Amino acid sequence: MIIFENVSKHYPPSTKALDGFSLEVKPGEFVSIVGQSGTGKTTMVKLLTGEEKATKGRIAIGDWDITRIKQREVPYLRRQIGVIFQDFKLLPQKTLFENVAFAMEVCGHPPSEISSKVPQVLKLVGLEKKTHRYPREISGGEQQRVVIARSLIHHPKILLADEPTGNLDSINAADIINLLEKINKFGTTVILVTHNKEIVNSLRRRVVTIDGGRVISDQKIGKYIL
Amino acid sequence: MILISLSRILKFATQDFIRNFWISVVTVTILILSLFSINFLIVVGVISQAAIETVEQKIDLSLYLSPTASEEDISVLKKELESLDQVEEIKYVSKTQALESFQQKHKDNSELQEALREIGENPLNPSLVVQAKDLADYDVIITSLDRFSKHTIIEGRNFDNHKILLESMDKITTKTRQTGIFVSLIFVAITLLVVFNAIRIAIYTHKKEIRIMKLVGASDWFIRSPFLVEGVIYALIGVICIIALFYPFIHLLQPYLSTFFNATDLNLIDYFNSNFILIFGSQFLIAGLINIIASLWAMRNHLKV
Repeated sequence: MIIFENVSKHYPPSTKALDGFSLEVKPGEFVSIVGQSGTGKTTMVKLLTGEEKATKGRIAIGDWDITRIKQREVPYLRRQIGVIFQDFKLLPQKTLFENVAFAMEVCGHPPSEISSKVPQVLKLVGLEKKTHRYPREISGGEQQRVVIARSLIHHPKILLADEPTGNLDSINAADIINLLEKINKFGTTVILVTHNKEIVNSLRRRVVTIDGGRVISDQKIGKYIL
Repeated sequence: MILISLSRILKFATQDFIRNFWISVVTVTILILSLFSINFLIVVGVISQAAIETVEQKIDLSLYLSPTASEEDISVLKKELESLDQVEEIKYVSKTQALESFQQKHKDNSELQEALREIGENPLNPSLVVQAKDLADYDVIITSLDRFSKHTIIEGRNFDNHKILLESMDKITTKTRQTGIFVSLIFVAITLLVVFNAIRIAIYTHKKEIRIMKLVGASDWFIRSPFLVEGVIYALIGVICIIALFYPFIHLLQPYLSTFFNATDLNLIDYFNSNFILIFGSQFLIAGLINIIASLWAMRNHLKV
């Protein structure tokens, strides 16, 4: 499903964010990527979403080699991966409905499809009664659920969650993780980037530990080892 | 598909305009102030042009003809003068007309009236009053006079008295025009920069949103287009507001101008009415274009995600 083959990402003058990073994620897996700050976790996410390009190595999603992806192909890549961010990244001037609908509108889905699908997916994350509120009018946990709804709208095969619980209290964090597990059960590959020890240990799933821009540990049913 | 995209672009543009109300208000206000300056500049231009024309019209060249000159010779001379490109109009004033005009002009001066009676006959010469197209043309006309077959019937001319005045006036009007163009250009450049920066700031406030849209998978044009349409909406509202504001302004100004220019038919409202499309249409086009260019320029970096 996802392959990183000896990938390096260097920033001038001499920062090596990733250095010979290799990883393979199979379809339907739930993988936690852990590591301390500055070890290359976010760089890995940015390489997958086309925000950055690798200096060396090969990255592929399915049959699609995205290592040297062209700028005009990036929007298509992003529409196929659901991404959840630590700082939510919701459009502040749009309602919850419009935020989720926007992800469909950019792809040119007809209005009828949008008006039937968006309420469904908002219901899935438990926000069906707040569809016309603005992000500033709801809690952090609810905002993160909107982001999950937005990322699910295209039925992505991969869901990339970059520190999704970083700005949430423990109860909301647990809710979000439960939601991710549920999504994974429906067959979506979930990559969870985090440094939350409790969450990683409670999941009892595959854990990949990064340090110095490369994988130092890859356990099938792992624990947070740092 | 294209229709859906177009309707979404329009929807996002109007939504953004309304939901970012204060940014829209500030941007449109800056645009209105800039357009007001430009239109004020047009008014100044029209007034100064009218002032120059008023003075120019008051200057003419009177050729005093011999009292013995035959009507035929005068007619030939008139035709020769009319053949010059520089001549706008020629008026023949006969001996009798000259006397009537003189008497009318000095009707309250009893000494002059008495003197005329004592002379017993009409002492005034017939004359040709020549109006040139431009101030500079008088010199050409005067130098051409000697070439005419009937130039010998010309006994005198009044133009030498005006020559120095005309030369300095010509210099002043040329300088005024040049300075006007120069000042206008600087002013327009400043206005363009102000509008350009206002749009850039408006776009800058959307920096985070543009990044989010990119990360959600929107193409560059899907992100750009609503901002470009919004720029055109700014221009449209700005021009509508300036029309609503500027007409009352020139209505207020008109009575003062009419008094100042007296008989001259300088009517700013008529001027703006007859050039409505040219003035406000071009302002809409230029303001819209500037907004589009500024938006494209400002979004360049924000789209690199």
